[in-house]
Amino acid sequence: MSNSFKIAVSSTDLSALKSRIESATFPDELDDAGWAYGVPLTDMKRLVARWRDGFDWRQEELKLNNELPQFTQDIEVDGFGSLNVHYVHKKSDRGAGIPLLFVHGWPGSFLESRKIIPLLTKGSGDSQCPVFDVVAISLPGFGFSEAPKKKGFSLSQYVEVSHKLMIALGYTEYVTQGGDLGSRVTAGIARRYGGMHSKAWHTNVLFSMPPENDDPSSYTASEKEGLARWQEFQRSGSGYFQLHSTKPQTLGYSLADSPVGLLAWIYEKLVSWSDNYPWTDDEVLTWVSIYWFSRAGPAASIRFYYEVAHSGQALGTKSSPPTIPMGCSLFPKELIRIPKSWYPGVGDVVFEAEHDKGGHFAAHEQPELLVGDLRKMFGKVARHFLRDVYSSLSVSSFTFFYCLQAKNDGV
Amino acid sequence: MSVELPFQISIPDSKLDLLRQKLALTEFPDELENTGWNYEEAKLNQDLPQFTKDIDVNGFETLNIHYVHQKSSLANAIPLLFVHGWPGSFIEVRKILPLLVQSSPQFPAFHVVALSLPGFGFSEGAHKPGFAPEQYAEVAHNLMLSLGYHEYVTQGGDWGYLITRIIAHKYGGKHSKAWHTNFPLATPLNFSVNPILFLQHLFTPYTAAEKAGIERSKRFEKEGQGYFHEQSTKPQTLGYSLADSPVGLLAWIYEKLATWTDSYPWTDDEVLTWVTIFYFSRAGPAASIRIYYEFIHSANGSQPSSFEPTIPLGVSHFPEELRITPRKFVHSVGNLVFQVEHSTGGHFAAYECPDELVDDLREMFGKQGPAFGVVPGKNGYEQRIRANL
Repeated sequence: MSNSFKIAVSSTDLSALKSRIESATFPDELDDAGWAYGVPLTDMKRLVARWRDGFDWRQEELKLNNELPQFTQDIEVDGFGSLNVHYVHKKSDRGAGIPLLFVHGWPGSFLESRKIIPLLTKGSGDSQCPVFDVVAISLPGFGFSEAPKKKGFSLSQYVEVSHKLMIALGYTEYVTQGGDLGSRVTAGIARRYGGMHSKAWHTNVLFSMPPENDDPSSYTASEKEGLARWQEFQRSGSGYFQLHSTKPQTLGYSLADSPVGLLAWIYEKLVSWSDNYPWTDDEVLTWVSIYWFSRAGPAASIRFYYEVAHSGQALGTKSSPPTIPMGCSLFPKELIRIPKSWYPGVGDVVFEAEHDKGGHFAAHEQPELLVGDLRKMFGKVARHFLRDVYSSLSVSSFTFFYCLQAKNDGV
Repeated sequence: MSVELPFQISIPDSKLDLLRQKLALTEFPDELENTGWNYEEAKLNQDLPQFTKDIDVNGFETLNIHYVHQKSSLANAIPLLFVHGWPGSFIEVRKILPLLVQSSPQFPAFHVVALSLPGFGFSEGAHKPGFAPEQYAEVAHNLMLSLGYHEYVTQGGDWGYLITRIIAHKYGGKHSKAWHTNFPLATPLNFSVNPILFLQHLFTPYTAAEKAGIERSKRFEKEGQGYFHEQSTKPQTLGYSLADSPVGLLAWIYEKLATWTDSYPWTDDEVLTWVTIFYFSRAGPAASIRIYYEFIHSANGSQPSSFEPTIPLGVSHFPEELRITPRKFVHSVGNLVFQVEHSTGGHFAAYECPDELVDDLREMFGKQGPAFGVVPGKNGYEQRIRANL
């Protein structure tokens, strides 16, 4: 039973935040440190000053509530009982939209669907352009979803809850889009529910292990560069990952107690993972406020990493790839780019698009590009699988052929 | 020659009030009221004679260094420099200090200097990037020289191990005469570098303790290194949390105090005193963790084993240390003359097992020990005065 939801942070919570910001204590900084040691002090002081005076959460809250129709619903997860899940749900303007589940990651949230939802639901004006019914879930522990109380809520459970939400909304067949942790969740959905329910999946981050007979000398220049960037990320940018995966609770005390600490923790990624995206201070503060005011608190979301690391589902664990069609959009500043020769380990790539701008938060940084790709990909592929949606079209007996055709078109 | 100024810890009320304010915003009880920082502060000032002094560092600004300094009543006691690590501080000398300065015919006495590393305790922190372990070693060495200790020995664990190893390498022989550590980090033996040791190690079965230690080391590597990774790559980002949240700082440090010790029965007051030193440190809590970043980014961060100190080395093994170095590996750390294995104790040896650690030092530097008399004229025993007949 879905309930309409509006974000409504209490005035107690708002003034508690204000008190903390007002007593903020800053560290010093080394001379000319720049970004080398982490977020620069000038950025932090400016952001915190804005947070203290000028940033209007009520305004942002109102805008969000106006733009994004939100709901909550209890979803039963095997072994974990019922979790109250928060999500955005917007149907297409033209009716019979392709059901699309959008899954965020960390430090993202449902907020990342904000710019793509209008494009996905309205279409481009061209009647051939597919439109979508969009569901943007807040993963348990994020946004305004409840967090699991027991240990062991790992990738399988995130996969289960996301799928069950779609079913509960009447979408027995759907497609998915996911980046960051969302990519892993949607890959899991493709694996477990692919074919019968998930019909195709799209991601903006590909990861797999190299195949057995891999030949590094065959990599292109940009593939080499992409792998080098991944190595550098592991060397200098993955401290958060190690911490989240091993001691999320210890870190959690800081994130829950200090808005300044939380801001630094997240802002560092917003800047370093995006492609020179011109973040406004209010954009950043809205993003971080969602974490601060999240239902489960800021410490909850990072447990995802721990659970995945300890459940034998860590990145790089060998598992058979999903078989349903998949698509990917490659943005230059994504954290990793794997060589094409590794694709079979990811899935059946029928659509690939490469862009010359954009980073990790693709839906937020380059919404038109991402939506353009989704329209291209699902426009062709979905047609032949979503019988409920395209019931007026005769289901081609050359379904398989059409899929190949899409591949050959270089789409 | 810079002037030594006596130092007393004296946190102003305004800072205490701000801390109380922050703690009041959390749901945790106001521990500060219950424990009385002022009481702990007074005890520290009473137990530990403290001073400050300006120390020059090549290529960096002059730093005002805070340190504990207690001379033994015995004039020719052995000058000993004690170097802490992270999340330690000068407080780690607290229990061993009264034992070390003791004079007796049974064991040697020491004059003890325990500095607060730059960025820790009440020492200034460096402001320029690049202040790496070599610079910390230089500060410590220059401090000893400025106190008139041109020849001395050292004891160190955690960063103190690396820093005293650098001291042994750079100033060893002429100034540092011997070094002792409870954290002998050694890289696995290499046949081309240490062929004999390598073969010996190959054919010496691990003891049960070594096996358990290797398992422990693996676990630490897998589950316990997140802090190291973050601190050595993005210390500033983490630093905002540590500076702004006393609760966050408490969790950050307490996790190590609990997991790196051998069931040490920390009292809440002990923990809070330890953490409060970080909270009220002169450079702020974010400064201390920069040593990790500077280490990784320094030339020696990638080649620590290029040092080969020749002065005598003593090692004390405590079973719950973070990384257990098998006995044969330890020989590659330095000129090993003394090695003891204990059955209890962890990473904070001086604090957890002060008696054992002091016994080891007394043995190593004692009359029957392998490092007896390394500091000429200062062997730690009463000089028998011969009548001039």
